Amino acid sequence: MSLLKAVGVIVLDGGAPLLQPLSLHLDPGEPLVILGETGSGKSLLAQALMGTLPPELTARGRVAIADRVLDTGSPDRFRGLWGREIGVLPQEPWLSLDPLMRARAQVAETHALVRGLPRGEAAARAQADLAALGLAGAERRYPHELSGGMAQRVAIAAARAGGGRIVIADEPTKGLEAGRRDDVASLLLSEMGDTGGLLVITHDLALARRPGGRLIVLRSGAVVEQGPSRQVFAAPQDAYTREFLAADPENWSARTPRAGTEPAVVSARDLAVSRGGRSLFAGISLRIAPGRIFGVTGPSGCGKSSLGDALLGLIPPDRGTVTRRPGDHPHAMQKLYQDPVAAFPRKRSIGQTLADTVSVSGGNSADVDGLLDRLGLDPTLLGRRPGAVSGGDLQRLSLLRVLLRSPSFVFADEPTSRLDPITQARVIRLLTEIAEKDGVALMLVSHDAALIRNTADTVLSLDAAGTAAISEPATFGTPVAEALT
Amino acid sequence: MNAVVSRLVQAIMVALLIGTATFVMMRSLPGDAAWRIAAGRYGYDHVDAAAADAVRAELGLDGPALPALLQWMGDLAWLDFGNSLVSGQPVMDEIAHQLGASLSLAVVAILLSLLIGPPLGILAGLRPGGVLDRMLLVASTGLKAVPQFLMALVLIVFIAVQMRWLPAAGHGEIWHFILPSLTLALGLAAVNARIARDAMARIADMPFWRFAQWKGLSERQTLFRHGLRNVSVPLFTYLGLQFVTLVEGVIIVESVFGWPGIGHALVHAIFSRDVPMVQGTALVLGLGFVLVNATIDLAVRRIDPRVTA
Amino acid sequence: MIVIATPQRRRAMWPAARIVGAAHVLVVALLALLGSVVVPSDPFAQSLVKALAGPDPAAPLGYDHLGRSIFHRLVDTLKLSPIITLAAVATAGSAGLVLGTAAAALGGWIERSLVILADALLALPGLLLVLIVLAMVPGTALGFWAALSLVLWVEFFRLTRAATREVLASPAVQASRLLGFGPIYLFRAHIWPEIAPMMLTAAAFGTATAIMAIAALGFVHVGLRAPTPELGLMMVELLPYWREAPLALLSPVIAIFALLLGLTLLAGSRKS
Repeated sequence: MSLLKAVGVIVLDGGAPLLQPLSLHLDPGEPLVILGETGSGKSLLAQALMGTLPPELTARGRVAIADRVLDTGSPDRFRGLWGREIGVLPQEPWLSLDPLMRARAQVAETHALVRGLPRGEAAARAQADLAALGLAGAERRYPHELSGGMAQRVAIAAARAGGGRIVIADEPTKGLEAGRRDDVASLLLSEMGDTGGLLVITHDLALARRPGGRLIVLRSGAVVEQGPSRQVFAAPQDAYTREFLAADPENWSARTPRAGTEPAVVSARDLAVSRGGRSLFAGISLRIAPGRIFGVTGPSGCGKSSLGDALLGLIPPDRGTVTRRPGDHPHAMQKLYQDPVAAFPRKRSIGQTLADTVSVSGGNSADVDGLLDRLGLDPTLLGRRPGAVSGGDLQRLSLLRVLLRSPSFVFADEPTSRLDPITQARVIRLLTEIAEKDGVALMLVSHDAALIRNTADTVLSLDAAGTAAISEPATFGTPVAEALT
Repeated sequence: MNAVVSRLVQAIMVALLIGTATFVMMRSLPGDAAWRIAAGRYGYDHVDAAAADAVRAELGLDGPALPALLQWMGDLAWLDFGNSLVSGQPVMDEIAHQLGASLSLAVVAILLSLLIGPPLGILAGLRPGGVLDRMLLVASTGLKAVPQFLMALVLIVFIAVQMRWLPAAGHGEIWHFILPSLTLALGLAAVNARIARDAMARIADMPFWRFAQWKGLSERQTLFRHGLRNVSVPLFTYLGLQFVTLVEGVIIVESVFGWPGIGHALVHAIFSRDVPMVQGTALVLGLGFVLVNATIDLAVRRIDPRVTA
Repeated sequence: MIVIATPQRRRAMWPAARIVGAAHVLVVALLALLGSVVVPSDPFAQSLVKALAGPDPAAPLGYDHLGRSIFHRLVDTLKLSPIITLAAVATAGSAGLVLGTAAAALGGWIERSLVILADALLALPGLLLVLIVLAMVPGTALGFWAALSLVLWVEFFRLTRAATREVLASPAVQASRLLGFGPIYLFRAHIWPEIAPMMLTAAAFGTATAIMAIAALGFVHVGLRAPTPELGLMMVELLPYWREAPLALLSPVIAIFALLLGLTLLAGSRKS
């Protein structure tokens, strides 16, 4: 007997279908994962199943939950299911907790108001729930005093306190550090247990692979492939699924590292940097040669972006020296940003910004056309403002702008962390090609260790304590520098 | 700690500004200022050239400006505001007398505005673009375009003159509060309501609001458990800034309704160039702003654990 | 920066409310500029015979208690206080813009002392400052200009400084600097486009505040002096005659309300 059965669910924007008819069922103890990129309609599906679609969209189809059959066209009826039948694990758990309320109270109120327990008992239950999730001692903290992972556990305790057997997790890794993905998957699986239902909606391949169970791959509002998760991951049938799975940095074929003895474009000796009085790292020495890719990886807050900024001279190091190649022009060191929208003047058309860059670099406007062609960009994008261009295209336009300056060194700071996997793979490929062909020294920073491992010639790993390890292609894992903190 | 220090700096700067401005005002008084000050102190019947000279020497009215300014500021630092040039009474006594009347008017006006504005704003913010929201937008835009004196005029004409429901002016009875406090409250409520509405609409669009409902809480429970406290933070903060509007309103409304408060006294003092009174009342109003905002800083910190610095 | 996704699609520069507001202001301006051309007369001419009389062709809005044409007094005052106000807003706006960008760009003690000064002025109610300045500077129109400029620059300064600081700290500016752009380009391409709409809003609010202040002080007899026609002064003079000549009192009331409503709408919603 399925916990949830949806038949012929569609979502329409006016007359235009955003989600083609889709049927699914959720069985006890068997997770269901919906995998898709931005715009695939996976979140619309979740919203249709919960009755939370925005009012301008309409849904059709039937959903059977427990002993009730509901019409997705009348979403008001779903409200009674929230908490009681369905527990929703929200995106960005940090933002999903009331900032002015302590952790335990947020769980206890579900016990008290949804299940009707007396206040004292509700608080005791909440205490026990949090302790069971390893949060003993954190019950009196406010959300801003919790880490992302802790906030997520508080959220799941609060979501489930109403007694719902089904858990729907919509992009549960959004806003969390990459290293926590495995924890999220095991948390969800243990919450499901043998009798509960679990629906996970994600674009994150590493998360999708974890729970097992069944998998549905969505693209542009239609199912392209479904089946047992293990089978789909092992032998994808559909071309799109294959491309999607191949886009996981884990599955990239490693680039052959290149070594050489050309003089370095930029080098650092015994570099130490701190931010806000806290030392990030110390004693790092490195050199980056033309055409080489220097990868930096590590958890958030370890100082990997600050290292790049220090090389560019944007923040002063506490100690150590940065040396540039003699003879390079003063603007030969450039940067690509994590959020390209924020890196362009907000109210200027991109074409105008690029024209400005051409004139400040003393080039001519034909350079732009040539680069558009080379980077595979549509010239009509130039008429738009940065906010109206997709992330992948805008990141390539950022690259174009940087190339107008004929850089010798480019610091790419998490350039693809906001992009979908397939777009990420394309942008990274383009970056490596440009670096090799134009002889640009590229410093690529990413939290994704697999991406760095399969892309860079040299890898610098930083950990949260500021310990650095550089691995050259031939000599993996040789510590070059130790933190002095 | 940092916030306390910056409020302290603000208070000192306010005192310096007002002290300097009133000093300049004193030096630029037409006629023989010393004579007038002496008259203020000893009464017009007892003033003679010697008394005027004594005052002139004491305040350095004829001498170089800088020592005189220092003398002036020194008196200010010792909280010695001198005597009113008009009544001859110490400025401190006069202000102590008037402050109560102004405070009671201001408190009633704020309470009244909080009863009108935020509830309407919260209801409107729960349904942005709804009927109530649009009506409230029109009403608050209209009210914001009515200056306090005009509001007072309209209320006097319609309620006191036309309908004869209430006395137009006076002080002492409870119904004397109604028109002046309503004048002030409507202006404050127009702004309150918009702030509450915007805050509510913003909060109702936040993930934690949606999540509270997903937990199974009803709309009402969500509002009472998660809405009101979050709305109160911006509301309190703006209340501090609104204090300036309130003080301006008090100045005007007291003058219009003949309310014997500090604003009325200020306008009178300006009219009769009673510099010590101007200085005293201006200081009380300016430092009142700093004090109110410092208190609100502390209150917001109690409500919102995220505010630490 | 927090992007708030409220369902407000009309975030254009000129939504309907702004156009209505601009129309109000325009009508009042036309009245002020063309009023005495269409019906020529003298706002100071008294004729006690006509005191509180109703409208006639020479005085389309009737006569006040001294038999002066209300229409012409109104037209006159609608020139005087807007001119004082606009001069003050222009002065305050340019001072605020220059000081605000300078403070944000230079930082250090320049910024700190300007902020301390602005904070102190912020604690003083505008009317209070105007009253103090007026007591010192005789020649009231000039006094109003000086006092209002002093009051209004703070808001422009705070807005410009806050926006400039945010823009200067943004990755966009960092990128432009790396590409080799100079300060003039940073101002033109990054800072000004962010500030300009705020300046319009602040200018409209400032104009409304100043007009209110002039009228309010006139109303309590400490502003411009009779017989100069002034909105607040006209109202308080005509208030005792409300029953005999309601139109006489209503004319300045409606005029100031239309002007202030127009300015409030023109300002649009103030976003913090």
